Amino acid sequence: MNRFALLSLYRSLTRHKLYAALNIGGLAIGIAVFIVLGLYVRFETSFETWLPHHNEIYAIQSDWKDQSSPFAGRYVETMGGLLDELREDFPDLVGTRIMGGKHGGIVQRGNTAVTEDVAMVDPSFFEVFDLPMISGDKDGALAKPDAALISESAAKRYFGQSDPVGQTLRVSMWEPKNYRVAGVFKDLPDNSDFTISVLIPLPENMREINSNWHHWGNSSLQTYLRFRNPAAAARFDAAMPALIDRRGRAYLGDKPSDIFGLVLLPVTDMHLEPNGNAASSAKMTLVTLGLVGTFALLIALINYINLATARAGLRAREVAMRKVLGADRRAVMRQFLAEAMLMVALASLLGLILAELGLPLINAAGGLSLTIPYALVVPALVLLTLVAGFLAGIYPALVLSRYQPAAVLASSRSPGGGRAGTRVREALVVLQFGLAIAFLIGTGVLVAQTQHVRNADTGFQREGLMTVMSLRDSQVDPTQSRAFIQEVRALPNVRAAALANTVVGGSGTRNADNVPLPGVPGDGPLVIWEIVGPDFFEVYAPRLIAGRLFDGRTADDRANTAQGQPDNVLINRQAVGVLGFDSPDDAVGKTVGGDHLRTTIGVVDNLSFFGPRAPTDPTIYYYYADPLRTGNIVASIRFTGDPRAFHEQLEEIWQKIVPQVPFDAQTADEQLIQFYEDDERATRLFAIGAGFAVLIGMVGLWGLASFNTARRVKEIGIRKSLGASATDIVKLLVGQFMRPVLIANLIAWPLAYFAMRTWLAGFDDRIALSPLYFVGASLVAIAIAVLTVLGQSLRASRTAPAWALRHD
Amino acid sequence: MIKLENIERRYISDEVETTALVGVNLDVAEGEFLAIMGPSGCGKSTLLNTLGTIDRPTSGHYWFADTDLAAMAEKDLARFRAARLGFVFQSFNLIDELTIEENIALGLAYRKDVSGNKADRVAAAMDTVGIAHRARHFPHQLSGGQQQRAAIARAIVGDPKLILADEPTGNLDTANGEQVMDILSALNASGATIVMVTHSPSHADMAKRRIDMLDGRIVASAMRAI
Ligand SMILES: Nc1ncnc2c1ncn2[C@@H]1O[C@H](COP(=O)(O)OP(=O)(O)OP(=O)(O)O)[C@@H](O)[C@H]1O
Ligand SMILES: [Mg+2]
Repeated sequence: MNRFALLSLYRSLTRHKLYAALNIGGLAIGIAVFIVLGLYVRFETSFETWLPHHNEIYAIQSDWKDQSSPFAGRYVETMGGLLDELREDFPDLVGTRIMGGKHGGIVQRGNTAVTEDVAMVDPSFFEVFDLPMISGDKDGALAKPDAALISESAAKRYFGQSDPVGQTLRVSMWEPKNYRVAGVFKDLPDNSDFTISVLIPLPENMREINSNWHHWGNSSLQTYLRFRNPAAAARFDAAMPALIDRRGRAYLGDKPSDIFGLVLLPVTDMHLEPNGNAASSAKMTLVTLGLVGTFALLIALINYINLATARAGLRAREVAMRKVLGADRRAVMRQFLAEAMLMVALASLLGLILAELGLPLINAAGGLSLTIPYALVVPALVLLTLVAGFLAGIYPALVLSRYQPAAVLASSRSPGGGRAGTRVREALVVLQFGLAIAFLIGTGVLVAQTQHVRNADTGFQREGLMTVMSLRDSQVDPTQSRAFIQEVRALPNVRAAALANTVVGGSGTRNADNVPLPGVPGDGPLVIWEIVGPDFFEVYAPRLIAGRLFDGRTADDRANTAQGQPDNVLINRQAVGVLGFDSPDDAVGKTVGGDHLRTTIGVVDNLSFFGPRAPTDPTIYYYYADPLRTGNIVASIRFTGDPRAFHEQLEEIWQKIVPQVPFDAQTADEQLIQFYEDDERATRLFAIGAGFAVLIGMVGLWGLASFNTARRVKEIGIRKSLGASATDIVKLLVGQFMRPVLIANLIAWPLAYFAMRTWLAGFDDRIALSPLYFVGASLVAIAIAVLTVLGQSLRASRTAPAWALRHD
Repeated sequence: MIKLENIERRYISDEVETTALVGVNLDVAEGEFLAIMGPSGCGKSTLLNTLGTIDRPTSGHYWFADTDLAAMAEKDLARFRAARLGFVFQSFNLIDELTIEENIALGLAYRKDVSGNKADRVAAAMDTVGIAHRARHFPHQLSGGQQQRAAIARAIVGDPKLILADEPTGNLDTANGEQVMDILSALNASGATIVMVTHSPSHADMAKRRIDMLDGRIVASAMRAI
């Protein structure tokens, strides 16, 4: 590029400020959207890759194969003693257990107790998870039964500036015990699903503490293994069925491997792998967002190339003159390529700035803390500059450098690339608008579905409902629980309070039993069972479909009162068919179950405790006048007034009765948010990405329209001199874009249909894919296209024909 | 048929004011063939554009029959142009993306009241100027003379009352220029009123009347001795 070429680029940029702004700005936005969504995808796919030798680490999944069971699916959970049993068969196995984790235990300091992310692990923990250390010694540390390793931030929290190593920390998983801090490890990064701030050794005598430690099928903790290479892992996988059949027979029937499996899962796949029967939405969401980012960039590139080539046509005369003055074809091509790359480089720079500016907004919208890794992004942008610059420059370079100067100079007007060029541009507009319309449809459906599930009927009223989870802590004894619930019931703003082993959002464990049906051979269907105390159905108030609710005064309602007598139970609507009843009314009074008989006294509507994606499981409710006789009991409280004030009220009572355990209570909305937040975040990110994609499409169309209008000024003059009215001109100019936009629907509709059908399939409670979304999105797209083009067309239609005819 | 009264046209751009027409009065009778001459920049095109209603006078009246076109709404002017006028330009002004036939058909496209078959009329107009064999070509595939004849065909396809020609031979060689002039004369003979700007005295002599302009004024008017 010589000085004159640079000069002419500079002039053409400043003279055609608008084109330059559209060209560079549109591409910059596309690049920014791509960077931001790319960062998100990279973040989501990078989980656990920070671990040293992460490629060698695997989690063991328990695989429940019976598809009819509510527990069907694979879970990263195993029985406690699995690692010991595996080691008997594989003496060289490298592995560790992790028990606890997020909110796994309590740290006591003086009179206060704080919930902490405590995990109990094997001494071999660091052979698998080689956490980077800050101070102290990790080797062999966990072999001492009273050693603890804590994270950097936990060290700051508990010991401030002083050296934590050697100090004492009182930690409780089920009973308080003093530990000596042996070392401090670096805080685990954001892209990790492990939440651990305190590591303590698993006691040697777990078999005595937990009677289910070697109970095959039980799930108490997570087991991780490390293999030298994938082949070793595959060999291990292959050996599992035989091992299960040998060791699990006592617990899982004659051929345990038919119903139960142990499967390795690479630790890096854990984040996106659905747990159990949860829908595998994470991967799809990620792919979708990746596509949105890619398409936004693609649309921007299409625009850029479109505008650049269109505009290049206007410079045919310049090229012709250069050739007349002696430039050869190579020189002309070089000039165009260099120009294009310079422009894309500018756009990349601007895109990077936009991404940096937009990232805080995205982080806020997505609850993330992404930062731009320049070492990766800058080389990628350089590559993009070269590739996109080449693509944008090569077409005009080839076409323009080929023009015969004589023909160009003789022609009355600047070539726009001829009919072929127009076709190509039209096709690109079709593609661009097809994607934009698909995005609009997608946004509409996503937002509608998110809205729908947010307002969906869960079977109970979400407002004014508080759950107290800290009751299930093993340090809370039943007397304290009883005292607590009694004081709560006495509060004037409490309408009802109930103890049960279930709450909205789940209490941490779920139980299921096979219920043999009379006259049907086999074990019968697997049905969830829940223990509920007095007032449970007052708190949740599900619709009573048939029969009656539990009556605290009727002794018969109490479960297990007399051996051999059937328990009076309530079932939910989902259980009616599963238990072989024809209708809810049919169920009432009937008795099912083999040696444990249950008589249905009533049917209540489904209570949806686990969010919109999870189907409600068939459930049997048992009534215990005092549920505290069993374990894992939590409270649900129906109250009036401000939830925050109520929370404080409860905490005060709690502190008085159980000071040694931190108070943990959540509103129903807080409990449920875990089931919504991923989808809502995805919807927000999708809408933002799609919005920008549509915006870029608009910018492109606007640019193309203004280019076309500029090119057709003289034609407008001619048509006007022939009697065309302003309306005729507007119709002409707007009409030229209607065809590609209408054809774009043909791409958009099927694309959006299949994408949205797949996405909606992940929800148990979903909206219908109504044609309105499609027609609506197309109308919006058409309106956008018309509005984009209309302004210029109106202006063009008003130009004085005499002036237009003078135009060149 | 036409009466211009005290027409003035001023251009104001960047604080520079140019007066292209000053107090122009002109009568054009039905069936006339009028030639406008004068040095470059004296306002010939401006006058012709004013007659063609594609430029509005700053002040003055333009009576066509009994209507003042200077005060008419843009929409009605468009209809007027479509029905009554035919334009021929020095630089042909054919639309590149349309074939010759389509370009000519454009002369009927904006008329609501076309009688008879449009295709027939397009064919007839092409025959009149002898361009029928090039119907499916694009403008850039034609010689300048052929393009100008196509432009004339477009101007006459709607059977206009008034044909306005701005240097129709300006971009043509002598032979092609003669051919175009012959067509215009023939059209005039068959009843069309023609106003033509030209720099060629010999072409001006083919008109029935000639006016000379200087600095935006009509300075002389002369009838051709028959
Ligand atoms: N749009 C415009 N803005 C400013 N001045 C204009 C404009 N159009 C014409 N003029 C000026 O008006 C005057 C008359 O122009 P016009 O085109 O009518 O001249 P002309 O007689 O047709 O010349 P030529 O023989 O060169 O075609 C000129 O001085 C010209 O510069
Ligand atoms: Mg002129």
